[in-house]
Amino acid sequence: MSTLACGVLLLALFGYIFWPERHVEAQTKKTRLDFLEERRDVVFDNLRDLNFEYHAGKYPEEDYAAQRASLENEAAEIVAEIDTFRLA
Amino acid sequence: MAAFGSFALLLALVLCAYNLLAGTIALRQLSTGAAGRISPERLAETARRAGISSFIAVSAAAAALLYSVFTNNFSIAYILHHSNRALPGPYKFAALWSGQEGSLLLWAWLLAGYGFVLRLRHKVDVRLTAYASTILAAIQVFFLLLLNFTALPFAIAPGEIAGDGFGLNPLLQYPEMVIHPPMLYLGYVGFSVPFAFALGALMMRYPGEKWIHITRRWTMVTWIFLTCGVVLGMHWAYAVLGWGGYWGWDPVENASLMPWLTGTAFLHSVMMQEKRGMMKNWNVWLIFSTFMLSILGTLLTRSGIVSSVHAFAQSSIGNWFVGFLVITLIVCTFTFVLQRDHLKTEHKLESLVSRESSFLFNNLVLLAACFTVLWGTLFPVLSEYVQGSKVTVGAPFYNRVAVPIGLFLLFLTGVGPLLAWRSSSFKSIRKNFIAPLVAGVVTAIILTLFGVHFWQDEGSFYSLVCFSLAALVTTAIGSEFVRGAAVIQRHTGQNILASMVQLTRRNTRRYGGYLVHFGIVVMFVGLAGSAFNRSVEKELGFGQSMDLGPYHLVCQSFTQETNANYDTEYSLMDVYRNGKKQFQLAPEKRFYQASQQTQTMVANHSTPLWDLYLVYEGKNPETGLPIIKAFLNPLVMWIWIGVAIVVFGTAVALMPNLTATLASQRNRPDTLAASAEVEAPALRGGD
Repeated sequence: MSTLACGVLLLALFGYIFWPERHVEAQTKKTRLDFLEERRDVVFDNLRDLNFEYHAGKYPEEDYAAQRASLENEAAEIVAEIDTFRLA
Repeated sequence: MAAFGSFALLLALVLCAYNLLAGTIALRQLSTGAAGRISPERLAETARRAGISSFIAVSAAAAALLYSVFTNNFSIAYILHHSNRALPGPYKFAALWSGQEGSLLLWAWLLAGYGFVLRLRHKVDVRLTAYASTILAAIQVFFLLLLNFTALPFAIAPGEIAGDGFGLNPLLQYPEMVIHPPMLYLGYVGFSVPFAFALGALMMRYPGEKWIHITRRWTMVTWIFLTCGVVLGMHWAYAVLGWGGYWGWDPVENASLMPWLTGTAFLHSVMMQEKRGMMKNWNVWLIFSTFMLSILGTLLTRSGIVSSVHAFAQSSIGNWFVGFLVITLIVCTFTFVLQRDHLKTEHKLESLVSRESSFLFNNLVLLAACFTVLWGTLFPVLSEYVQGSKVTVGAPFYNRVAVPIGLFLLFLTGVGPLLAWRSSSFKSIRKNFIAPLVAGVVTAIILTLFGVHFWQDEGSFYSLVCFSLAALVTTAIGSEFVRGAAVIQRHTGQNILASMVQLTRRNTRRYGGYLVHFGIVVMFVGLAGSAFNRSVEKELGFGQSMDLGPYHLVCQSFTQETNANYDTEYSLMDVYRNGKKQFQLAPEKRFYQASQQTQTMVANHSTPLWDLYLVYEGKNPETGLPIIKAFLNPLVMWIWIGVAIVVFGTAVALMPNLTATLASQRNRPDTLAASAEVEAPALRGGD
């Protein structure tokens, strides 16, 4: 009985592993453009968070303005680089 | 069944070795562009499937061991030594991890389970997952080598088959022991996944921080399992060991605390990497350390190199673990040195008064706590190695360091969320800190007026500071919810409570995190109560009594009973308050026949104000009367309530944001046209 169970387990697992698969997932390398797009989304998220906290009355006007300007500059740099990549 | 189990384990080892080998070759070919007879993608796919299959094989082995324990197959040495016929069903289940071999099998099974999910979800990032899967396979190979060659769960007992087993350790015959070790192991083992992703991302020079996003849920789930495991261990110690406390700085308790501390630090500092691209070196080493501390925890729990009430196995597998730790450290260091230029920070710390700096302090404090615990835990081993005699480090050493560190962490829990990213101006600090500070100071004054005099002793001082900080942090968290809900209320017209729910659903990670912080505050309140513990011990015959706090305890009777599993002696104690009988408690002492060991069963009456905790210490041999020790432990219940809040908060943080759910629904073709809702960016809820 044990031998039969061992045989079934062995065949089933080896069958699953080596059964010819028509479609195999391609292993693509992440590009600089992918990275920039992720980074852009993060900076946009940070901007949204800053807006929310400002509306919640957590930051004074001058702190908000300074931080917003800084984040917008960062976003602008990333978007410019994305555009350069896309044009190329 | 023993043959089938052994075969399944051997098969699992072969499959994991194949996953490791084929995965490594495929990744090498993909990174160098070298061509083989089989395409690297196809080879990588067979490696992934071998990893998936290893879970089936280890599951088959675990099922074989469980079947053997439930069918009382005492021909297997492990079953003979950890079970007996009269053992109740749930404890037969617990026998799976009560010994060395079984617990290693549990480790291997959980690791294969985590690997199974990871490999099934490979489409999230095929290449990165292939790296993580290969690294995970290497860890699996280590545990399966142990199970196949050193700690054999299916080894046959020599001689004739015994009629009955030697039974389960009585300390383990407690309901929590059915869930505490799996929880703890789910925590220990789970850190392998973020570790594998971090190491894989570093090896392949993965651009960006998406690997953190991919592993965030893994890390949180692992962290909450470890938290529950640690706290269940505390509760077990409180309910079973009968010394009136829940945390004794035992080496095995410490072993579970260390990865929790570094894991908590990691959960906080990765936010800086995600949001600002900072602390990349730090984070990589935090998760490396957390994984290695998990392995160290398993080593301490299972090898018997330290004496502990929680260690239920002693063996020579310590050398294997030390070897594995050394190899892991070498691989991590080598990869880090080779790829460290990839971990350049994108931003620098702009101000010491900012959210980033609060995370940094939080990390430093957590690491200081971890180092203290590590030093105290390993000191007996090191002293024995250097001096030849074991010098143990007691609770006062840990308390002297851990209590101030814990309080500083509690302070940071309140302060951090109130600070802005990048820098906070004085005006901003004044705006956000007044209410929490007032709450803290008012609490301190009220408690002093009600008799908590900080000048009396160290315990009272720390308790007062703890309660005041708890008020400060609770107010800070409350103000975050109220302020955010007010914004929602202005836009939607909902009442404040509905707005709070909406706010939480819109940013589950942030507000779930705040709930976790609140749970931690509640736990600290419970811990602070220990400064006011009281106890009394007395020999009590029939009708005799003793007083403790507001309670009057009268011994109604004391007797003995026997059942198939154990003999028991117990006292029936009537508990009176203000002259009225409130309830009855029955502390007992059991003698387990199979293992020939005694075990105390504590009787505990828990209320939000305090626990009345009775221990049957045994009979005075001269008088034949039972000796009862009674403890009055204030606020203990709040520790367990706090943990429940932490679990709830983590569950909230794990849920997807409402806006993300709505967005995905809107993007579905069938709902795209129908949806006209436009989300205002300001309503998201912050992060």
